[in-house]
Amino acid sequence: MDRNQLIKWLKAPAKMSHKYSLHAVYFCTGCGIIEVPPSITARWDAERFGVLPAASPRQSNLFLITGYVSVKTLKAIIRTYEQMPDPKFTVGFGSCPINGGMYWDSYNTIKHLDKYIPVDGWIAGCMPRPEAIFIGVTHLWTLIDKGMANGYQKYRDRYKYYRANQEQVLGTLDWPPLLPIGDGNE
Amino acid sequence: MRELDLYFGPQHLGMVGNFSITLRAEGDRILKATANPGYLHRGFEKLMEYRKWIQNFPMVCRINVVEPDSMEMVYAMAVESLAGIEVPERAQYIRSIYLELARVGSHLFGLWAYANMLGFDTVAQWAMYHRDLILDLFEELTGGRVYHIYIWPGGVRRDFPNGFKDKIVETLHTIGGCVPEYDSAFFHNRLFADRAKDVGKITQDRAKEMGATGQVLRATGMPYDIRKVAPYAAYDRVPWEVPIREKGDAYSRIWVVRDEMIESVHMIFKLLDNMPEGEVYNRIPNPFKWKIPAGETYVRCESSRGELGLYLVSNGEDKPYRVHFRTPSYPHGLIVLEDVLKNASIADVGNTMISLYVVAPEIDR
Amino acid sequence: MNKILRDELQSVFGAVRITTPENTRVIINAKKDTVLPLLRFLKEKGYQHLALISCVDWIEAQELEMVYILSAYLGSDHAFSDKEQTNVILKTRISRENPEFQTVIPVFQNAEPYERELHELYGIRFKNHPRLVPLFLDREYSIPPFRKDFDTRRYVKEVFDQVPFVEKEAEKV
Repeated sequence: MDRNQLIKWLKAPAKMSHKYSLHAVYFCTGCGIIEVPPSITARWDAERFGVLPAASPRQSNLFLITGYVSVKTLKAIIRTYEQMPDPKFTVGFGSCPINGGMYWDSYNTIKHLDKYIPVDGWIAGCMPRPEAIFIGVTHLWTLIDKGMANGYQKYRDRYKYYRANQEQVLGTLDWPPLLPIGDGNE
Repeated sequence: MRELDLYFGPQHLGMVGNFSITLRAEGDRILKATANPGYLHRGFEKLMEYRKWIQNFPMVCRINVVEPDSMEMVYAMAVESLAGIEVPERAQYIRSIYLELARVGSHLFGLWAYANMLGFDTVAQWAMYHRDLILDLFEELTGGRVYHIYIWPGGVRRDFPNGFKDKIVETLHTIGGCVPEYDSAFFHNRLFADRAKDVGKITQDRAKEMGATGQVLRATGMPYDIRKVAPYAAYDRVPWEVPIREKGDAYSRIWVVRDEMIESVHMIFKLLDNMPEGEVYNRIPNPFKWKIPAGETYVRCESSRGELGLYLVSNGEDKPYRVHFRTPSYPHGLIVLEDVLKNASIADVGNTMISLYVVAPEIDR
Repeated sequence: MNKILRDELQSVFGAVRITTPENTRVIINAKKDTVLPLLRFLKEKGYQHLALISCVDWIEAQELEMVYILSAYLGSDHAFSDKEQTNVILKTRISRENPEFQTVIPVFQNAEPYERELHELYGIRFKNHPRLVPLFLDREYSIPPFRKDFDTRRYVKEVFDQVPFVEKEAEKV
C-alpha cells in the first residue's frame, strides 16, 4: 500500500471500503451474463478487484445490468434496486441498456435504462470482454473516490420523476412508493 | 400442513438465467410447478421480418447466448434451402468442426453451472477455464469471443488461418488430458452420484410424449440425434457414436453430456484428418438487393441442447416473411420441467433445472 | 415411405392436397375440421413428435395459416430409415377476423405452450384449452404484436420514446 492510499483510508474509510468490496447482485438480466462466469472464475478472477457475486440484494452494493431489459425484467430490476442498501452503484453492461442496441425497434424492450433507474457507468459493446468489466470497475473506483457515483442520491432527490417514468411504461405499480412523493422532493 | 406459493427466481441463487418458477409447496414437497418465462422476450421473429436476409445473421446468434453457432447454422441452412445455394465440401467440414467446438464449449458451460450448483467449486473453475480456451480459438478464427457470425449462406466467412489446425489439436489435447482429473474429482465422485441419482427422473415414453429431444431423451435410452438421423454439414462423412444412458435422471443426463464432449473431440480429430482442400464459400448475390424466391422450409439441426428447428417462409421479397424457431429448451423448460418437479422436493429444483439444460433466452426469443 | 404415406392419406382423407418439395419434406394442406383426425392418424403412423406449432399471417388474403410440424422418433430397434428423416408439415387456414381454432392437446400433450404463445402473439382463441393465460408478455397491446399490421417501430416511437429523461424533466421545474 502506498502512502497516498493510507491517507485516503484515514480520511474516508467508509468510501475506501465501498470501493474495494463491490458485491454484485446475482441477477442475470440478459445475455451479457455469459461473460460474468468467466470473469468471476479462475482465468480472469474478478476478486482481484474486490468484485464478488452476492446472494441477496440486501447484501450487495453493485448492480450489473447485463444486457437488454425487457418490460417484465424492468419490474424485477426496480424491485431489486430498491431493496439494495445505500450506497449502491449501477453499471449498465453492453449496448442494449444504453440505447436499445440491436433491439432498438423491439416492442418489448425498454431503450434507455437511465430513464427508469439511475446508472453510474456504462460498459459499451456486445459482448464487452472481461477486461472491459475490469476497466469499468476501475473507473467506478475513481468515480466513488471523487463522490461522482451518486446515482442513489439522485434516485432519492428525483424519485418523483423516476416513479412517473416507471409508471408510464409499466402501468400502475403494485408496490407502494419507496419514498413519499410530494412537491418538496427537489 | 399449509400450502404456500414460493417464487423461485428471477433473482435467485439457484436460478441460472432470467427465468422464474412458481412453486406451490406443502412443507418441502412441491405440489405444482408453474414455469413463468418471458423475462427475455424481445420478439426476435418479429424484428427479423423488418431486416434483410443478410442482416439477420447478427440477430439469430443472440437467441442462444451459450451456443450461438448452431443458430447461425440453422438459419444459413434454411436460407440455402430456400435460395438453392450449394455449399463447398471444405466449408461443410469447417462448419462441422466449428459446431463441434461450440458444442464442447457449451457443454463445459453447462458443466460449470451444474458443478457449481452441486457444490463442486473446483470442477466448476476448471470447466470455465477450459471453455475459455475454446473461446480463444473462436477469437482467433472469427474475431469474437461470444458471438461469431462465422457461418454464411453458401459456406463460411473465411478459411482457417495458418497453423489453426495445430492450435485446435493442442487445445483439445489440453482439455482432453484433464478428463481423468474431471472423472476422479466429479464424475466418479460418490457425492455426485448421491446428489444426482433419481433426481428429475422421466421415462422414455413420458419424454416422447412431452416432445423432449437432446440429452433429456438420450438419457432415457434412445439414440435420437439429428446429426445421425438427418445428417447435415459433414456429419455423415466420419464414423461416430451417439452416447446414451438408460435411467433418465439427472445423473444419466450429465453422464451423457460428458460422453458427448469426448465423442465431439474425437469427431473433430477425424474431421481435421479428412478435411479436403478447396473453396470455403460460394458467391451469393449482392446481399443488399438479394431477393429469395417465395417458398417455405423447415430445417433442423442438433444444438447442444437438442433439436433446433427453423420454419422459414419467404414471399419473394428481400426480407423474410415469417421466422419461427423451434428451440430445444422450449419443451424442456415449459413442459418437462413442470412435469418433473411435481412431487419433487424444493432442494432439487436447481438440480433438475440445470440438468435439463434449460437456457432461458432460447425459450423467450 | 413417403409414397405409401401419401396413398394412405389420400385414401382416408380424400380432400387433402399433398406436395413433396423435397424427399424429406411432406406438406399437407387440409381443411380446418380435418386437422384433429389427420394429426391422430399421423401419430398412429409413427409421427409422434410434434416439433412445432406455428402461424403465418397472410394479411392480403385476410387469413391466418396454422402450421403443425411433425417428425418421427426412433423405433424400439433404433434403426434409421426414411421415416425419421421426413418432416410432415400440416397446414390449414383460418379466418383472420375471428380467429378461433380447436386445441390439439388431446392428441399432442406438448401443444400446450405453443398454443398459449400463438394466443398471445396472434390472438387466436383455442377452444377447450386448459390454461390460455399470457406466456411472455406483461403488457397489453391493441393488436397482437406478431400480426403484420402491428408496426413495432411506430409502437416504439409512440411508447418508449415518449418517456422523458429524468434530468431534463427535473431542469424544467
